[in-house]
Amino acid sequence: MIVKIFEGREGHIQQKGDDCLPLSCNNDSLAGAVSQRACVYSGARVVLNPLTDALHLVHGPIGCAAYTWDIRGAASSGPDLYRNSFSTDMTELDVVFGGEKKLALALRELADRFHPPAVFVYSTCIVGIIGDDLETVCKKASIELGIPVLPVKSEGFRGNKNEGYKAACNALLELIGTREYAPKSRYSINLLGEYNVAGDVWSVKPFFEEMGIEVVATLTGDARVAEIQRSHAARLNLVQCSGSMTYLAKKMEAKYAIPYKRISFFGLQDMSSALRTAAEFFDSPEMKEKAEEIIARETARVMPQIEKHRARVSGRKAAIYMGGAAKAVSLVRAFQELGMDVVIIGTQTGDRDDYQKIAYIVKDGTVIIDDANPLELKELLIKQGANLLVAGVKERFLAYKLGIAFCDFNHDRTINFEGFEGMVNFAREVDITINSPVWQLPVKRESPICSGSDLTISAGVEDAIQEPCHS
Amino acid sequence: MLSKSLATVNPCSMCMPMGSVLVFRGIENCMTLFHGSQGCSTYMRLYLAHHFREPVDIASSALSEKGAVYGGAANLKQGLRNVIKGYNPKAIGIATTCLAETIGDDVPQIVREFQAEEPLAKDVTFISVSTPSYAASHEVGYRVALKNLVQTLAKRSMPGKQSSGKINILVGSIVSPADVRYLKRLLDDWGHRYILLPDISETFDAPLSEDLPRIPLGGTPLNDIRDSANSLATVTVGGLLQEPGAGDFLRKEFDLPHKPLPLPIGLEYCDRLVACLEELTGEAMPESYERERGRLLDTMVDAHKIVADARTAVFGDTETVLGLVRLMTELGMRPQIIATGAINPAFAEAAAGLAPGSRIMTGADYSEIAEEVSTRDIELMVGPFTGRQTARKEKVPLLRVGLPNHDRFGASHQLMLGYEGTMHLVDRLANALIESKESRPA
Repeated sequence: MIVKIFEGREGHIQQKGDDCLPLSCNNDSLAGAVSQRACVYSGARVVLNPLTDALHLVHGPIGCAAYTWDIRGAASSGPDLYRNSFSTDMTELDVVFGGEKKLALALRELADRFHPPAVFVYSTCIVGIIGDDLETVCKKASIELGIPVLPVKSEGFRGNKNEGYKAACNALLELIGTREYAPKSRYSINLLGEYNVAGDVWSVKPFFEEMGIEVVATLTGDARVAEIQRSHAARLNLVQCSGSMTYLAKKMEAKYAIPYKRISFFGLQDMSSALRTAAEFFDSPEMKEKAEEIIARETARVMPQIEKHRARVSGRKAAIYMGGAAKAVSLVRAFQELGMDVVIIGTQTGDRDDYQKIAYIVKDGTVIIDDANPLELKELLIKQGANLLVAGVKERFLAYKLGIAFCDFNHDRTINFEGFEGMVNFAREVDITINSPVWQLPVKRESPICSGSDLTISAGVEDAIQEPCHS
Repeated sequence: MLSKSLATVNPCSMCMPMGSVLVFRGIENCMTLFHGSQGCSTYMRLYLAHHFREPVDIASSALSEKGAVYGGAANLKQGLRNVIKGYNPKAIGIATTCLAETIGDDVPQIVREFQAEEPLAKDVTFISVSTPSYAASHEVGYRVALKNLVQTLAKRSMPGKQSSGKINILVGSIVSPADVRYLKRLLDDWGHRYILLPDISETFDAPLSEDLPRIPLGGTPLNDIRDSANSLATVTVGGLLQEPGAGDFLRKEFDLPHKPLPLPIGLEYCDRLVACLEELTGEAMPESYERERGRLLDTMVDAHKIVADARTAVFGDTETVLGLVRLMTELGMRPQIIATGAINPAFAEAAAGLAPGSRIMTGADYSEIAEEVSTRDIELMVGPFTGRQTARKEKVPLLRVGLPNHDRFGASHQLMLGYEGTMHLVDRLANALIESKESRPA
């Protein structure tokens, strides 16, 4: 095994080419191992929060609301209620006597102040323990206030982030189908698992419209409650973030007979095949032609810029650590487009199918890791000689401290990476970080009088790791 | 005006375990572990990484449904074992979360069992602190963690009434690594021996080096904390408004005189710290600091007309807000709103004394602060970055001071303490007002 730090993690790390069993995944994180995962609540929150005009009320102590306030870089073209943080701010008294009354009063007050078209009420760890009956409180409030008040069963400890995705999807299912709608176009779709981070969806949606397709709803990026309510009227669901939304897609298929297709809008290949997938589904020759026209036109437009960056990054080694597997898979293809090799790939919440798919597309020697932690990541980055890590903020400073370039691909990134234009942005991001002159600055100063200044005091750490990559 | 709302809308505070991290990270070779569900660690890691721009490792006992039903002892022990194996720490700070507290786990007892069972635990010091998130804010979490730290470790080792002659400098509020570096430099230059804790000066602002240690280097050595019982006296910097904490414990337990002081922000509060140190050491402040004091005064005089009468809203942690308000009144500014997310009556009283007529808010959230800002013709907001939505909506500039600051660089390097830090604050206050006037259409 390539790294061994914690007992019990053996099955979660593999190098492709090893003769081994399927990767262990989708189970509880190991205590004390500093998993990069969050909790059930966080899974639910990231899925639902981009719904711009909904009121998101966290039933729990203040921390859960404070740390997730405006957490996603999910952009809005209008309402901004979702960028507020609402909490019942449970105190000791509520824990002792129960928080139902406070919740009911808070719901009334907030509905009165903010007039939301719907409210999501998230349960947190404490609610699960003291046993507040969220469902009943929400049902009553819903009748009293005349708007959907949806409980999200997201007690933090009841599983991992995947459970939170499910809880969020279940809440969405309550909304879907509650508003009649006849799409204006014969061809209509929903975009599932698209969160409009950094305005991603705005560089994707226009192409579908150009093809004559109406996007009924995006779940949940830049979405309004009303759009979700009528999303059952669409004829096809395109699912991007499969980890969070395949569950919903399956439910919608069963309930509303809407088929779904997995797509991704990231990278030129994936973006192109997303357009083709839609055109093929609707089986319209004009639409297929239009899709090809768009693909040819846009590719020709962005290619010179991407080529410029590609020339500067090709041959370098990339490491990927993502929350969900769909993004990770898409990234592998995008790195191929940039001529880069993927040497590490991991996710927080991938399942067996995801890892099989990953194992299939990566090269021999690539390390595949589930539910990684900083110590493992550090060792892997060094051993695999990665030049770049693509991950989230928690991992950013680990990479930097190791002298490794970094690209933020998490939900708080601020640069749009989707669509044709997004790939140019991504290529530039990768280029400017890998080729920054900061990596060439000497960590050790040449001294005219002594053998060099060493910033490390007394390391006292028995790492077998040698030189990090300050090349 | 709305009456005090039942729901919190845009919180101006964080939860208790957050405060404990800021203490544990200031101890040499110490790891933090939260006893609770995985999310708490991850969220707070993310939050602090954003602020300090440093890797932040916080372990979790990763309680699941089973743990919640049958108790979390097994998870906690496994977590501690893995932290020791993975990080080889000299100390582990264990903070509880609301989950662990509500299921009723007895952490000290579980730790004792662990120490008895596990050979690996032999050389590790465990500091456990009860920080149920629903009980109070991050400031209280910080205070109780600091108190428990001293309570767990401080031991008299000198005969009779003998003293080591050192001064304990307790950093009683959350400040920046640069602030702690300043306090250390001041005391080093003074030439008097001291024990400062917690010391986040290196651990939350580490130099880029050739090797990345698993636990950041620096922090107060455990032996210093043990030795704090032998000191001459204790000064808590930023301990004026806090309930009895580590300093009081040392006073009661070991008879050390304790002087709780405000954070040295503004001339008067800086002078108070200096006077206190002169009294304790019997030595005058080093000459270079007299000149620094003069430069601060010079800066205050230079800026007085720019900042005169400026109507401000100040919010955030209690001690920081108090220092900022004191500085503003020294400059002839007019703090109109003085707010904190904490529930702290001493704060309200002290603020009222400093700025009579201002609107003083405790337990406040940003929706309440925003309401006041919109009616009081505020020219400048000063506080954490979380005030940015209010600032944008009300079209008031926001000077970012304190934790959290996620959207600007330099949170770790921001110096606000001492004559020098105050001088930087005066510069920043004046510039913020100038830039705001310039950006308005003529």
